[in-house]
Amino acid sequence: MNVDITGAKILFRLPFGIVITETQVNMWIVMLVIALLCKFLTHNMKIKPAGKRQVIAEYLVKMASNFVKENMGEGFMKFTPFIAALFSLASFSSLSSLFGMYPPTSDLNTTLGWAIIVFVMITYYKIKTNGILGYAKGLTEPFAVMTPFNILGEFSTPISMAFRMFGNTASGAVISALLYAGLAWLSNLVLQWLPEALSSIPLLQLGLPAILSIYFDLFSSVLQAFIFCMLTMLYVSSAASND
Amino acid sequence: MPETLEFLSVNFWQTLMSIGNLIILFLIVKKLLFKPVNDILKKRSEEVDKIYSEAEELRVKAKTDKDIYEDKLKSAKNETDLMIKTATERAEHRGEEIISKATLEAENRKKKAESEISLAKKKAVNEMKDKITDMVITLSQQVVEKEIDSKIHETLIDTAIDELGESV
Repeated sequence: MNVDITGAKILFRLPFGIVITETQVNMWIVMLVIALLCKFLTHNMKIKPAGKRQVIAEYLVKMASNFVKENMGEGFMKFTPFIAALFSLASFSSLSSLFGMYPPTSDLNTTLGWAIIVFVMITYYKIKTNGILGYAKGLTEPFAVMTPFNILGEFSTPISMAFRMFGNTASGAVISALLYAGLAWLSNLVLQWLPEALSSIPLLQLGLPAILSIYFDLFSSVLQAFIFCMLTMLYVSSAASND
Repeated sequence: MPETLEFLSVNFWQTLMSIGNLIILFLIVKKLLFKPVNDILKKRSEEVDKIYSEAEELRVKAKTDKDIYEDKLKSAKNETDLMIKTATERAEHRGEEIISKATLEAENRKKKAESEISLAKKKAVNEMKDKITDMVITLSQQVVEKEIDSKIHETLIDTAIDELGESV
């Protein structure tokens, strides 16, 4: 019995070492779904709400706007579409595992890319608020000796965000894979007195993986997407504040 | 077994694509969801403002109309009051006139009646005088035919006049 824990399948290779993997394709599918959903919800909107679709669209926009307003303040309302995009992409990517797809969030490159965007935003707001010199000076505080650690600290933010999201999704996949393999082995062991054709059916795989799947695929997916958005908002708004 | 990436691997292009995908989705969400919805919300609030201001205008207009009509009603009431007053005065005046005329006429008639009565009296008295004279003459002739007694004459005449006076 062997269990392979691997990354995304490489679908095809392009020049300059560019590889197109399941991650990319699944993310494009997720993006397409989100885009179609947006188009569907906002189709044929009227000033007097005409149908459920428009009510849902308005509810989502208002909810996202209030969420950003509460966590970042009035001055960051232009962040709302970004946070909404981040949350929908992160949660839908993780949820795609429900359809047996390889979740793009279990690829470190995906979460790292998002974390880099957040890092750029944080740094941009720190420099915008304190000035480039103020930002550089902030790195040397409280002592000049601390400078390397402060720089490490700056980079640790996006890295920890990227690994948190990746780790949670990927570990779910790993645990699910291990559990399936383990249960297959166990059921083979228990049912070995049956004829070969019957004992090879992993009966014990029924039930327990479904419960774990509810946690890893549904709950954890949404929760991690939420945490990622929450951290983005908090880091960016605190970078823009003066203290 | 298809070719795969390592479970934990960092690939520059993959990361770049992830960045690009998020930015593209941000633009999609902004353009397809937030812009139309916010436009609609803005239009709706504008329309609500418009409805409110229209309602306010109507309210103000209704109030001025009401004031105008109330004024008109008030002036109409004053006018009717005046008309009634004038009419009453005129009627009173006219009534007084009629009464005074009637009184005058009644007095005239009374005077006329009185003068007629006095005329009739005079006439009656004259007639009486004529009768008395006749009677006196008759009596005198009777007396002269018998014997002349002044005492009897006097008594006779007095009696005759008294009788006449009682009958008149």
